[in-house]
Amino acid sequence: MSQPLHIAGVKFLKALAKHSDIIMQAYLSGRVNELEHDAKVLDKLIGLGVLWRPEPSEDLRLRSSIRSLLENNLRDERNRQLDANIGSKLAAIKTITSHYKEALHHQNYVESEVYMEDLTEQVYGLVDSLKSNVRNLWRRIHNEFGYVGSINAKIRENELAQSQLTDMRKQLAMFQFDELADIAGSSRELRRLLVVHLQRCHSEISQELSIAQSKLIDLLGKFREYLHRSQLLKGYVLHCQQKPDYHIKNYAELNTVPPLFNQAEAILKPASIDVNNIEHERLFGEIVSHLKQVRHSKTNKNERGSQSFNLNDIEEINIESDELKQAVEQYFCQVIDTGNRLSALEFYQQQNLELDQEEWIYGVINGFYGLSIEEQDFFQIGPLGHPHPLFDGNYIIEDVELGLR
Amino acid sequence: MNSLKGQVLETLLSGGFICKTTDELSYQFLQNTENFADVEQQLNLMNRTITSTSDDQVYFCAYQVIGDSERRSVAQQFRDVSSSLLPLVEWLVLVQEAKGDNSPLSEGKVVRLNELQSVIEDTPAFSEQLSKIARYSLFNSSSSAVDAQLKLVFKRLVDLGYLLRPNPDNQIYLATGKVDYLFEVIRFIDDSENLQLAEQAEEAIKQGDLL
Repeated sequence: MSQPLHIAGVKFLKALAKHSDIIMQAYLSGRVNELEHDAKVLDKLIGLGVLWRPEPSEDLRLRSSIRSLLENNLRDERNRQLDANIGSKLAAIKTITSHYKEALHHQNYVESEVYMEDLTEQVYGLVDSLKSNVRNLWRRIHNEFGYVGSINAKIRENELAQSQLTDMRKQLAMFQFDELADIAGSSRELRRLLVVHLQRCHSEISQELSIAQSKLIDLLGKFREYLHRSQLLKGYVLHCQQKPDYHIKNYAELNTVPPLFNQAEAILKPASIDVNNIEHERLFGEIVSHLKQVRHSKTNKNERGSQSFNLNDIEEINIESDELKQAVEQYFCQVIDTGNRLSALEFYQQQNLELDQEEWIYGVINGFYGLSIEEQDFFQIGPLGHPHPLFDGNYIIEDVELGLR
Repeated sequence: MNSLKGQVLETLLSGGFICKTTDELSYQFLQNTENFADVEQQLNLMNRTITSTSDDQVYFCAYQVIGDSERRSVAQQFRDVSSSLLPLVEWLVLVQEAKGDNSPLSEGKVVRLNELQSVIEDTPAFSEQLSKIARYSLFNSSSSAVDAQLKLVFKRLVDLGYLLRPNPDNQIYLATGKVDYLFEVIRFIDDSENLQLAEQAEEAIKQGDLL
């Protein structure tokens, strides 16, 4: 039946696809540069109703129907139009219903079917446009009007959205379901479309709208708060710049301190370590094992610092010999001087040394064996004593005698 | 282990601010009227009470009765707040302008130090502003490099409780409720001294537009 319509539609869509570049350019820049494109193509697009010229001297522009199609499909944020013209659509629905009922009355079933199709399309179209309006509103709410920069512009956008929303709610009030129910009468199909479906969508949408409205008011409050805060900050900086001697009044001295400035002092300090707590032993052990010995403590800085010292020759070293050693030396010297043999105890008595006798004798023996081998060769040392009276083979040394060889 | 109530008491008594960002659990705990009354009772033993900003976003500890010694402490706190107000406000303005935001920093907002740094480094006016801020005694920076100044300022702000660094591995900061407290302070001063700060700002913007 609609074969010619089908062919024309396909042709139109093909033309759109073929010239999608031009259309998108027109969509994005707002107009078409006629010098860049073939005049024939542009004429064809004008003929198809895609482009139009609002005034003879103006550039070519995109038709609003194509533009809104693109906006809806691309979910473009610039799409801020809400189609709130519900009244005329409702009137159309009522008219088509009358046509349908008349056709049914005349038992013209073919025609009535066409009207039914048309009616269904109208009802679904109405619901869809309402729903897309709500979606559109929510999209703007969700990104907090991100498509405009300044907070003032956001506030204006918010106000626009609110007025559109109010319009929509007013239009929604035009749905009069008792009237629609009357029109639908006893027809099951009509009741399903006009009463059940529309009513369900109506309540859904009005609910959504009221949520959106409260959200919008919230957002507006938030924007105003942002604006106020920014202004406060800038105002304070300006105020301080213009009046450099400005000081905040001392609110802490007031009789009743404002709660904002009543801040208690921190009284909790970290708790101390309890080394006797067995439960904490492992923790403390770990802490101790992680301790590093700090050798660069500040206290011994002076000692670590550079010091001055002399590099002169060492003048004299005094080694203070002890008494025994000196006595031994004297003894040796005397033997050398006199050239006679002299027993150690004789020297001991001569000099009246105040040493233990045995210690003295050992000292002499030590002195002799302490000499180098060449020096030992100059002397001869011999023990003086007697054999043990009981056990033969044992010789008891009582004295030593030193002489020159 | 410390219970949630203990944790709340500890934070309050050590002079901390509790908001959703710094400690969500404690904040939720205090939102409950029963818990609130319980904590309040404990604090009252020590002549302390819980206060919050007007919108209940931040809780902190205040004196119940202000005697002489309390007044001295309150006066000291007030001196701290009022002396750090201008540097903090200038910093907030700088952050807002450098980020190109519509609204100043507030609780829960994210500041990325690296992003901020690159913007400030690219804009001489911002880096000048930053070095002015960093020289205030509150921050006390002697460095002339943007990098060092910015890091010092952020570190100080974290120490003072205005910012939070959730992950020490990266330079992403969150503003805490103490920032909102700051706004309350300015608003209070504006109201009680009738400074008309907002009008002044608007006037200046209008004059700027004319020029």
